[in-house]
Amino acid sequence: MQRTPVNPGTVEWSGENPGIYLKADPQADYSVVALFFRIVLSPHGRGVGAVILGAPDSASGYPDAPNLCLTDNRPMMEYLIENFASKFPTFVGKAGVSAMSWFDVTDSQQDNRNMPQTYSETLTAGDLQVQMTWKDLQPPMAIEVGPDASATKQHDMYAVFLEARDAHITINGMALPGQVVDRQFFGRTMSTAFLALSETWVNPA
Amino acid sequence: MPIKPNVRPGAVDWTGENPGMLLKTDPEGDWSVLMLFFRIVWSPVGPGNILLLYENPMTAAGMPDCCNVIMTDNDALRDYIKSGFIEKLATFGGAPAYAAASHLPIDNVVSAGDPCGDFYSETVTGGGLEIKLVWESLGKPTALELPPELTAAGERIMYSLLVNAKSAFVEVNGRRLAGKPVTRNQAGLSLSTAFLYFSETWIYPDA
Repeated sequence: MQRTPVNPGTVEWSGENPGIYLKADPQADYSVVALFFRIVLSPHGRGVGAVILGAPDSASGYPDAPNLCLTDNRPMMEYLIENFASKFPTFVGKAGVSAMSWFDVTDSQQDNRNMPQTYSETLTAGDLQVQMTWKDLQPPMAIEVGPDASATKQHDMYAVFLEARDAHITINGMALPGQVVDRQFFGRTMSTAFLALSETWVNPA
Repeated sequence: MPIKPNVRPGAVDWTGENPGMLLKTDPEGDWSVLMLFFRIVWSPVGPGNILLLYENPMTAAGMPDCCNVIMTDNDALRDYIKSGFIEKLATFGGAPAYAAASHLPIDNVVSAGDPCGDFYSETVTGGGLEIKLVWESLGKPTALELPPELTAAGERIMYSLLVNAKSAFVEVNGRRLAGKPVTRNQAGLSLSTAFLYFSETWIYPDA
């Protein structure tokens, strides 16, 4: 396959973007869609953030519905949601995106010391604490996609994915309902929980 | 189209960040300072940080004679990167300082600045040292996908996000080391020998 060593496009952002999509009913839509971001480079600086939609189709925010966004860099997170996350197939048209409540992160902790058994990200905003945990991580695989196959349908994307066979999300210690399910991912059957490390999005030239 | 959809069949060696500096006091002379920093988020031996710093690359000595050090918070990762990566980079693995460098622990690493802004820095502390790495005059981020023949190690494919730095320096306990970046060429790009590499992944070639 012919490759171009230097991508002529404009780099949008780079960092980590793991996700957890859960179903309470395997035959129904996702009951939880959630993404974590640890951004090392973007037009709006660096930072961490998470979008947790525990009621994706509900036009309500926290605490009425478990739809919330936590971040230490709001302009960065607004940019990521408007231009990327809201265009991902799991988030498109979800009422929770515009209705979710926003919180300023006061502390963030990553625990990657026990891979491949577990990996977690914990964000605290005052008396609110959200923890995302991935379990039973599988060997990494490097991927690259162009606009036709990327989640936004607009960008080139490079990343290292690790499938997690199990995952859960807690808000102040209470787990959101649902379990991971299988999905097709570039010709492979994989779970709907994953780490996405060393991820770079490029606006094609 | 610069890239095509692909799941690389080759195994991932490691992924993370790998900024560096190669400095000279005389553009025609030997390197005065060599530095590589690794923030590895996945490897077969776990994540961690490694700092390789030669204050005097041509001197086979370590601390306290000179600040030729290899620091880490994951000894297994240090050994993995030494044998699988650094020893394949002649400039670093072949330097007299390599075998003599003191092995020290890393207690803490703090990042500052913005790679899209005026400067970016990493401050590494441990073993009685505070080592500040500063990159300035930063260039436009560029996504790279280099085949083995275009990499320094020559064996693996590399994805990386390059930010070139026209200026850079190292401070050890507040003492600035001598030297400035010079020019280099990578994949047809005219670059400095001071660079940030984010989201860098090394992959064994497709089977």
